[in-house]
Amino acid sequence: MKGNIFKITLGIWLILWVSFITRELFRKGYFYDYKALIFRSLEGKRSYVTGDRFYEFLTFCNERLPPLANYGWVGVEPESVDMRRAAYYLYPHLEKKDYPDFILVYDKPMIAKAGYETFIRLDYVRYILKRKGDI
Amino acid sequence: MCIAIITITFIGWNILYALSFRYKSNLHFSERLAVSYGLGLGFMSLGMIFFYFFNIGFTPLKIITPWSALVLLNSIIYFRNHKKATLTAAFKADDKNHRFLKTFFIIGIAFEAAYAFFRALIKPLESYDAIAIYAIKAKIFYLSKSIPHDFFSRVTFVFPHPDYPLNIPLSETLIYLFLGNLNDQLVKIIFPLYFVSILTVVYFGIRRFANSSYALLFTFLLASVPQFSAYATNGYLDLPLSFYCLTSALFLFLWFQNREAVCFLMISAVMAGLAGWTKNEGFMYCAINIFMVVLFFIFDCREKIWSKLWYLFTYAFIIFAISLPWIIIKKSAGLVNDEISLINYSPANLISQSYKIVPIIYEFQKQAFGFKKWNLLWIVLFFILIVKRRFIFIARERYVTIFLFLSVSGYILMYLINSSPIEWSLGRTWSRFLLHFLPLAVFWMATILKEDPRL
Repeated sequence: MKGNIFKITLGIWLILWVSFITRELFRKGYFYDYKALIFRSLEGKRSYVTGDRFYEFLTFCNERLPPLANYGWVGVEPESVDMRRAAYYLYPHLEKKDYPDFILVYDKPMIAKAGYETFIRLDYVRYILKRKGDI
Repeated sequence: MCIAIITITFIGWNILYALSFRYKSNLHFSERLAVSYGLGLGFMSLGMIFFYFFNIGFTPLKIITPWSALVLLNSIIYFRNHKKATLTAAFKADDKNHRFLKTFFIIGIAFEAAYAFFRALIKPLESYDAIAIYAIKAKIFYLSKSIPHDFFSRVTFVFPHPDYPLNIPLSETLIYLFLGNLNDQLVKIIFPLYFVSILTVVYFGIRRFANSSYALLFTFLLASVPQFSAYATNGYLDLPLSFYCLTSALFLFLWFQNREAVCFLMISAVMAGLAGWTKNEGFMYCAINIFMVVLFFIFDCREKIWSKLWYLFTYAFIIFAISLPWIIIKKSAGLVNDEISLINYSPANLISQSYKIVPIIYEFQKQAFGFKKWNLLWIVLFFILIVKRRFIFIARERYVTIFLFLSVSGYILMYLINSSPIEWSLGRTWSRFLLHFLPLAVFWMATILKEDPRL
């Protein structure tokens, strides 16, 4: 009796084990992620996991923001994983909630923000606003 | 990368040797390696905190140099004492049966370990907490080659949870320093190594009272829990904490069985201290460990009161000494948890929060039947709890049972005093908290079932 319970439990365990790995690889699409990631460079992998379009904008911001300038966001949901990844990739630039030196605008057509002017554009919906006056 | 891991493990090995050379510790070579890895990483990151106190920058050489004194001391001790060392067999004799099953479990464990390394190393750090809380701190430390002097007073408040301990961020910094660049892909090797270390410690923990096929079975069950293997890859701190909780508890139980081996008590204390240095929840495990020692002295120890008090004081002191640097920083910088506060511990508040019990129980059952995360593990555990209830409070099993009971109770208490909305808090954390005592729960299952001759 005990032996049978053990065998049945182990059998179900193994079936679930295999099915979860298979499900993860194919239904959740991990296999395709791995296939896409395996030959990418580190920079390419960062771009893939962050989202190529968003990462392109972060790289653009990193290149264009002056050293130690702070920034705020428009178009990225506060506390979202994108926001956290942005904070990570943009460091040593730090985020500032109130009246930052620069506002990074993502996926928003030209917005008017009092006290700010266009600094530089990546494209029509991804650009950086600069606070008017000396920074 | 290899040099970094070898150096960390070698220093951990020396710390372990310093703790255990006087006593018969009976640790298997692989078990020693696993314990050394966790010890090395924990102590080297703890050592880096002193660089902040003395305003010294980080370089691999500067970080290693203080440990070379320990290596030198150990070498002297080894060459004077090694002939006196005796090693008695600590493990059960191996069985020649179940060859097919054993091979299958070994392949299963090897697959899970290899897959964990692959999943961890295919991507750079990208998951929420891994980036937002830990990796960003590691990046700051690496870029400034130190803990910046204004870090605790200003910079840390820009990012979430400034009160979280720095074991893993500093460990990541250490790997970056060895690599010479900020490779946030290779740095993830830390996590699957903790995974393998946990499996090794669980395997040899079970081998002390059972044969290899039995130990392999439970090691495989643990390795194949989807949630457990997933957290070996994503840069979260739950598996490192799980390692320190497991080793602190397991070595404490070993000391309960063999009080001559005081090194087990020392290893347990050190691991409990490192649990507190890894995650805030680790402090709860420090308290549980100290309580277990008290319980053991009251009910099972016939030694003199002074001897008991000495052991208890030493145990608590080691934990306190390891936690002290971080406590000093937290107090001086005013780093507090924004969700849990000791102010909420009043009985009146606990009663007013008792309505949370319903969602807590609901979440518990949701996890228990969450096959996608846990396979059958919690169902099997509850089944064993009911069927083998006569055995859960006998001999060695008693302490493991109490430890697990206190762990669950501690988390329930945390939820009761948590100021965040309970459903949100439970949904976000409980499946991770379960990981902290999961290896010990598997070990408990193995101890309870061990008397069954069919297994």
